[in-house]
Amino acid sequence: MFKAISLAIALIMPGTAIAANNVSLSSDVFVERKVAKPNGTTALVLEPPTTVTPGDKLVFVVKYKNVGRAPATDFSVTNPLPKAVAFNGTSDGTEIVSVDGGKSWGPLADLTYLGGNGEVRPALMTDVTHVKWTFNRALSAGSGGKLVFRGTVR
Amino acid sequence: MPAASGMSRRLALALGTAALALASTAAQAAGTLAGTDIVNVAQATYESPDDGTPITIDSNKVTIKVDELLDVTVVSSDPGDVATAPGLTAQVLTYQVTNSGNGSEAFTLSADTARPGDEFDTGFEQMILDSNGNGVYDPGVDTIYAPGTNDPVLAPDESIVVFVLSTIPASAEDEDRAEIELSATANTGSGTPGTIFAGEGDGGGDAVVGSTGARDADSGYFVIQTSDVTLTKSATVIDPSGGDQPIPGATIVYQLVATTIGSGELTNLVISDDIPADTTYKAGSITLENAPLTDAVDDGDAGSFADDAIAVALGTVPGGQTRTITFQVTID
Repeated sequence: MFKAISLAIALIMPGTAIAANNVSLSSDVFVERKVAKPNGTTALVLEPPTTVTPGDKLVFVVKYKNVGRAPATDFSVTNPLPKAVAFNGTSDGTEIVSVDGGKSWGPLADLTYLGGNGEVRPALMTDVTHVKWTFNRALSAGSGGKLVFRGTVR
Repeated sequence: MPAASGMSRRLALALGTAALALASTAAQAAGTLAGTDIVNVAQATYESPDDGTPITIDSNKVTIKVDELLDVTVVSSDPGDVATAPGLTAQVLTYQVTNSGNGSEAFTLSADTARPGDEFDTGFEQMILDSNGNGVYDPGVDTIYAPGTNDPVLAPDESIVVFVLSTIPASAEDEDRAEIELSATANTGSGTPGTIFAGEGDGGGDAVVGSTGARDADSGYFVIQTSDVTLTKSATVIDPSGGDQPIPGATIVYQLVATTIGSGELTNLVISDDIPADTTYKAGSITLENAPLTDAVDDGDAGSFADDAIAVALGTVPGGQTRTITFQVTID
């Protein structure tokens, strides 16, 4: 089985190898912590996720950049949510989401959640399985940016 | 981070899909289980500038291990004060200890019978673990707890019922209360929420003190309920000529007033009185609260006459009540 997959990949590889290098994509995850400052105020700081427990607020940062010479058209970024993370919104609100494992997409307010027992209700943040940003314009050569969303450890 | 070679990239995608299908961690009230890996990979899709075919690339993989949150709750399971009486032993208070953290954890239990602010302290006997899980103390069946030896190990969300056995001092008085606090402390560590015990978490991560401080306690209460009864006996003589002389043929009406006191109740209270010498019981003369009773024994009626004595079974009588019984004899 494993060998067969490798073989199939090897066969389709040549066509995609060069083009794939056109866009770079990186993912970072931080933990949001409240830190008491000496002057009595509380500051929110982002820390590396060295110690993470249920209830902790995570900040996901996805950076993308077109490192090739040609524009990348029909560009989109998708981040499937890890099972143990409940979606908690994005910083810009321009995302679409899926609550059914990536089958259907839309703004959260437009989606309906189908429960296993026939339950049907408006979708909630905690139902989100995937978050996706689609770009109207081509990603021109050399340009890039970052996408930020938040999640809570279930 | 630039994408890796096409080969490993595609392979990672295929494996990632398989892992997604397998992942079905059960939802826990305590949260994601300690030791669970949170794996995040973003994907970008765009059209190949060369031939317009869609290309999907993966980001680097970020893996975060969920650490153990140390939390515990202790709740008294008794619905209210547990009634007891002076001098009794093996008096039981019941508590429930729940691991409200997200990892398997052992807890040290401690019972405090010397709480301030109550009226008496019980003598501590034992803590018992409800090893058969029926919620009721079963002497000789449930396990005696020895701190440090058989500290209960609880899975996330798991509870255990703990019994604290006490001796009630003979000096305790009616309506006195005694507070007994059971506490449970996570063995990995406790203290200020947020304290980290590096590498000591279940599942290989850190252990972090949760909002409960990894220690909790709750109190149960005993209340003394004693009761007693006093009897007052009086006699009225009616002689055959209508006077009050105790002469042969005269009738004596005896009145017994039973008064119960205390916050408890007296069960199966029976008032009995011997018929005095040189008198004869007047058949069918027993009354209770002015209502006549029969003389027969075991006829379902509270009154009886046998072996030259009358008896009235009052059943269970709460404290602070009176019962008035009368019967008559004739002087021989």
